[in-house]
Amino acid sequence: SGELYCSLPNPRNVRFESINMKNVLHWSAPEGTGDGVLYKVKYAVYGVGKWIRKAECQNINRTWCDLSSETSDYEEQYYASVKAFLNGACSDWMETTRFNPLTDTKIDPPMVSVSSTDKSISIILTTPEKWKRSPEEESVSLLQVYPGLQYNVSVLNKKTKKRWFFSISNNTLVVPWLEPGTAYCVSAQIHVTTPLLDSGFSKERCIATLKDK
Amino acid sequence: TAGDKISRSGACRVSLSMAEIRAGFTAVKANIQSRDPIRTLSILSHPHSLHKVKSSDRCCLTHHLFTFYVDKVFKQCRTKDSFVNRKISSIANSFLSARRKLGQCGEQNNCVCGEESTEKFKQILANYEGLNVTSAAMKSLGELDILLDWME
Repeated sequence: SGELYCSLPNPRNVRFESINMKNVLHWSAPEGTGDGVLYKVKYAVYGVGKWIRKAECQNINRTWCDLSSETSDYEEQYYASVKAFLNGACSDWMETTRFNPLTDTKIDPPMVSVSSTDKSISIILTTPEKWKRSPEEESVSLLQVYPGLQYNVSVLNKKTKKRWFFSISNNTLVVPWLEPGTAYCVSAQIHVTTPLLDSGFSKERCIATLKDK
Repeated sequence: TAGDKISRSGACRVSLSMAEIRAGFTAVKANIQSRDPIRTLSILSHPHSLHKVKSSDRCCLTHHLFTFYVDKVFKQCRTKDSFVNRKISSIANSFLSARRKLGQCGEQNNCVCGEESTEKFKQILANYEGLNVTSAAMKSLGELDILLDWME
């Protein structure tokens, strides 16, 4: 569509939403525009002199665009920008704030697997992987990205409702001196001190200690 | 304090309240970066990334950068926003003490300046002097997370 006159209201709330460094640009449609609005997206590496149009996000009618591939180098920072078009009119380019994948991503909780004996439970935690372009690409654990990564683990005795919290650096934990034949529920969170990043707590995994022999 | 972290720069180890500096910067990051309209230039990260500097040159470059921020950047970053100013001066104080410690370590010849760190720092100064002072200082301050990411 030819850009005749940029009188269209601007796209709103243009921002990156990032989880495990899967970096997706989101925005809201311009105020007061119904259907039929199309969008163009471009991005720039901060400090490098050119804006690059994202080929798969030219003249699209959705209000998101996956820029994970273009922003996968987390030693760089980025800007992205969106422009709206409707019936020959257009909006201004609307930019994100500066996006730093390292500090601006959210981290999923760790995966929790548990096993038990009569008097103890063993917990193994698995850190989520950084987003990757394809399943064949080599996996990078977020542990490699954030070397100071730690885990907060919560263990609940379902019978007494007593709860313990542990803060650990390695990914395994054995909780001893438990009651036989009792159900315990485990939940864990990832905690990175700098930059400050906390995942939510994982869904509770419950397991019963074996009955007394 | 809890957030203190030993920052290893080559042979020198400097205890620095990274968590505190990070928290202070994060609180004003959007405000500071919004004052820098230039997307196509960076003081610290282009054309050469800090991440490409050899570890043997880290100490010297870190010392140079602390001095750069203390002597050139923080002083030029007064704003009309007292909250922002308070955060900036808190960060500046942390840098001041870190520079002093790094300087002491340097006196024991543990902080040798190789060709690479000298070249890199020259590039940073050239980037800085390519802009007017206020813009250069505000841009440098807005890139503090680039420095912190590298130091960690």
